[in-house]
Amino acid sequence: MQLHPILSAMRRNKVGAIVICLQMAITLAILCNALFIIDQRLAMSRRPTGTDEVALFAIDNEWVGTPDDLSARTRTDIAALRTLPDVENAYSTASYPLANGGWMQGISIKPNQNDDTATASTYFGDEQMLRTLGLKLVAGRDFTSADIGERGATDGPLSPGVIVTRALAAKLFPDGSALSRSIYIEYPDRGMPIVGIVDRLAAPWMTTNAAAYYDYSVIEPFRFVNKSSSYVVRARPNRLAAAMRAAQAKLFELNGARVLRKVRSFAELRTRGYRDDRGLAIILSVVCAALVAVTAFGIVGLTSYWVAQRRRQIGIRRALGATRGAIVRHFQTENLLIAATGALLGIALAMAANLWMVSSFEMARLHTVYAVIGAVIVLLLGQLAALWPALRAASIPPALATRSA
Amino acid sequence: MFAYYLGLALRSLKRNVMLTVLMIAAIGVGIGASMTTLTVFRAMDGDPIPQKSARLFAVQIDNWGPENRSHPSSDGLDSMLSYTDGLGLMNAHAAHRQTAMYTTAMALTPSASQLKPFMVVARASYADFFPMFDVPFRFGSQWSAADDAAHADVVVITRELNDKVFGGTDSVGKTVNLDDHEYRVAGVLDAWSPLPRFYDVHSSDKRFGKGDDLYLPFTRAIDGAMTTAGGMSCKDEPSGWEGILHSECIWLQFWVELPDAAAVVRYRGALNNYAADQQRSGRFHWPPHTQLRDVRQWLIYQHVVSDEVHILVLVSFSFLFVCLLNAMGLMLAKIVGRAGEIGVRRALGAARGAIVAQWLIEAGVIGFAGGLAGLALTVLGLLGLRSLLSESMIELTRIDVADVGIAILLAVAATVLAGLYPTWRATQVQPAWALKSQ
Amino acid sequence: MLKMTNLSKAYRTEVVETYALRDFSIHVREGEFVAVTGPSGSGKTTFLTIAGLLEEFTGGEYQLDGANVRGLRDNQRSRLRNEKIGFIFQAFNLIPDLNVQDNIDVPLRYRGLNGAERRRRIQESLERVGLSARSRHYPAELSGGQQQRVAIARALAGSPRVLLADEPTGNLDTHMARGVMELIEELHRDGATIVMVTHDPELAVRAQREVHVVDGQVVDLMVPPRAVVGAHARV
Repeated sequence: MQLHPILSAMRRNKVGAIVICLQMAITLAILCNALFIIDQRLAMSRRPTGTDEVALFAIDNEWVGTPDDLSARTRTDIAALRTLPDVENAYSTASYPLANGGWMQGISIKPNQNDDTATASTYFGDEQMLRTLGLKLVAGRDFTSADIGERGATDGPLSPGVIVTRALAAKLFPDGSALSRSIYIEYPDRGMPIVGIVDRLAAPWMTTNAAAYYDYSVIEPFRFVNKSSSYVVRARPNRLAAAMRAAQAKLFELNGARVLRKVRSFAELRTRGYRDDRGLAIILSVVCAALVAVTAFGIVGLTSYWVAQRRRQIGIRRALGATRGAIVRHFQTENLLIAATGALLGIALAMAANLWMVSSFEMARLHTVYAVIGAVIVLLLGQLAALWPALRAASIPPALATRSA
Repeated sequence: MFAYYLGLALRSLKRNVMLTVLMIAAIGVGIGASMTTLTVFRAMDGDPIPQKSARLFAVQIDNWGPENRSHPSSDGLDSMLSYTDGLGLMNAHAAHRQTAMYTTAMALTPSASQLKPFMVVARASYADFFPMFDVPFRFGSQWSAADDAAHADVVVITRELNDKVFGGTDSVGKTVNLDDHEYRVAGVLDAWSPLPRFYDVHSSDKRFGKGDDLYLPFTRAIDGAMTTAGGMSCKDEPSGWEGILHSECIWLQFWVELPDAAAVVRYRGALNNYAADQQRSGRFHWPPHTQLRDVRQWLIYQHVVSDEVHILVLVSFSFLFVCLLNAMGLMLAKIVGRAGEIGVRRALGAARGAIVAQWLIEAGVIGFAGGLAGLALTVLGLLGLRSLLSESMIELTRIDVADVGIAILLAVAATVLAGLYPTWRATQVQPAWALKSQ
Repeated sequence: MLKMTNLSKAYRTEVVETYALRDFSIHVREGEFVAVTGPSGSGKTTFLTIAGLLEEFTGGEYQLDGANVRGLRDNQRSRLRNEKIGFIFQAFNLIPDLNVQDNIDVPLRYRGLNGAERRRRIQESLERVGLSARSRHYPAELSGGQQQRVAIARALAGSPRVLLADEPTGNLDTHMARGVMELIEELHRDGATIVMVTHDPELAVRAQREVHVVDGQVVDLMVPPRAVVGAHARV
């Protein structure tokens, strides 16, 4: 394959070649980063919460006024929910995974420690909580009814023991000694022993800035009693919709002086919560597709023009014995050279753009695999786009050489 | 001559329809993408209260000290205040107008018994809130300073709430039942939705989503032990409502109106004096650390324009750049292909300027058509965005006359810019080529 | 009218300097019909491009209609071309997307004339070449001879001081060529100054006088044109 005539042809069409090269480079830079972001966001939207989401729904309850018998009302509500035929279990709490709001606190492993060892989400639940959510205990024990206290938004007493997630246990006590060690949360001088470790329980927040402590959670054994609280309910298999209807009806039957702000299944909470992330992924995908299309058309256009410009030359080559295949290869090689330069430039641009985004936004660094994938896509794109004009060039008759201009 | 060149441009575009369509489509798509994201960006980044944004200030004060930081921010200050500081600053009365405020959730029980009780978001503030933020009234007016002092059972409701509960009639003097108490309606607001909701940017839903449903006196809310719905950060676990009020938990927003630069200087001084007093009394163990930020500064500090939008704007403008490179390449091909005609025109007496005019105007025509196509795509794009993003962003997907103008201008300017190099190449065509190309 | 004195045109490439014209002198008076002949590569085309202000020259002097052309800026040359010179090209060089009328209009637009004046001139020049009936046609719809006549109308419309023709019949068959030559002779009879470059001696004789160019220089022909016919190969 003779490179020299190709290079000299490109030198005469410098600007056109540069335009295509730049287009491909920028396309590559955008493609790499976009694919990376798409992948990240979709991965985020698929993070497991550690719960049996398919069977769960949550009711956000708010009492009208400030009743003094909140404790009795809550206990009545929970007992009633548990007796419903379509309900397997339920408990009262302040927040739950996928709620997008809740309690976040600093955790220390020594009394009166100034800097927190970790940040974690705090959940409240009674002895039915693990069963309701379907959490897997990997060490220690679940709460017993003797452990359970009662608390509202403030004035929480010290818990006799807490359950933490495996990830938090590893973070706080990397030597594996978490079980029966104490942690300090609300009271810096009074610790609470870890009595159990569950495999996974996610934080309530689904945003990128909460991602760092997504798997760090602490469960304190309390029935949550407050003017505003939530009931997490586990429906019997395949009875979710019926359970949701029955639960609402039952609660209003017990006491109409309340507002059920939200009654949503965990599946719905997940969809709503990650809507913006999925939306971004879709938007970026559309833009990538459009980008690829525009660049492809540009390559087709400019290559066709070069073919037209060099008609006579091509005819002469054919007259001198070049096969159709040789002509096609000539143009494909030309395109490959430009594309390769564009790819190199594009990878550099992609890295630079990513570094800038890492420093300006909450973004992770681009893995090389995306750069490689992007480069392959761009090179293939170039070759495919140049194919049609190249085939047209190959069909130029050798007879053109004999005609003068 | 302009009309002549316009005619030439139209003929030239008709001659090679495929090429023209490709170019207009490419530019249209680029403009569509850019304008879609730019519209959202402008809505997010705009000044929500331009007539006053330089006179309204958010107050910040460090009440946790250099050793305790809840969320790291660029200057170590948080966006909320404790009750002690909020009340202290209100009592100091160092500003022309001022208000401490927070939001709380309440259950409204409509008098019509068929309607079930529903939740409303209430903003607890002082009467100054309404003149400070230029809030328009439809019926009645805000409660008085006396009402603030008396912790009165009075509310101001929004137009939407008034429509829902009172059917849109003048409800001044009527009462609403909130959490088993009756509150007298002092005023009904007209439609008011400054975006972004600069005075409450703590949660991303509130910035652009649905606003507050009603307003009640701050003093009354404190009396009623109404806990905040807007988030609270505590250093130590508080004990009961009184505990919250006396603790260093931060949960209030504090805004002041300062009419001129001298007032700003005076207020900064007063703010620092207050903090110095806290240090003297032993409550703070660090020197005064306070800050005043006007609306624009506040919005930047709060990163109101989300990262996602920044990324999308970048991506779409890079996309536009690629489209323009495309257009440039195609224009170049077209011009070099028409070198013969250019040579003839030059031979017949066209000066270089005439060639420039002819081809730049052609680029402008393509740009204009691309701009129109781009506008159509922008409308589609915004509709698409609306369905993809959460409700809190819907307000941002409205297009106004300015956006239309920007789209067309951007399209024409960008295409003409892209056409500069090809046009320069056109002027390089020597008139002698008309003879030589035999 | 058109006077070149010791004109030279050099082309410089990286290594070599060639002279297309060397010590070239010619004087065309008003109302003359001069043929410029010579073998291919002799420089006669270069002479025409310089005469038509399409190219700059290296040395010597060139006066067109009394004005010295040396050192003129591009804009001035464009204006002079537009006002003083009418071109007739071998390949007609009509603009394909424009109809006959609009083609003739092109140089008039660059003159800055108003609509009525332009229409008048277009009308007149079309009548002069006998093609008024075809004013709306496109070049593709016309025969070669008609296209050339449109090109001549285009050249005439601006009331030029001199017509420069480059092998005006080169792309025409004998029948059409005859028609065009007759038109050119007619124009001369009506007082036009015409300089025609051709390699065809049969065309050259129809002019008033002949200037022969060989290797970039004017050559004095001591022999009558008829004898020259035999000496050069027909191209």
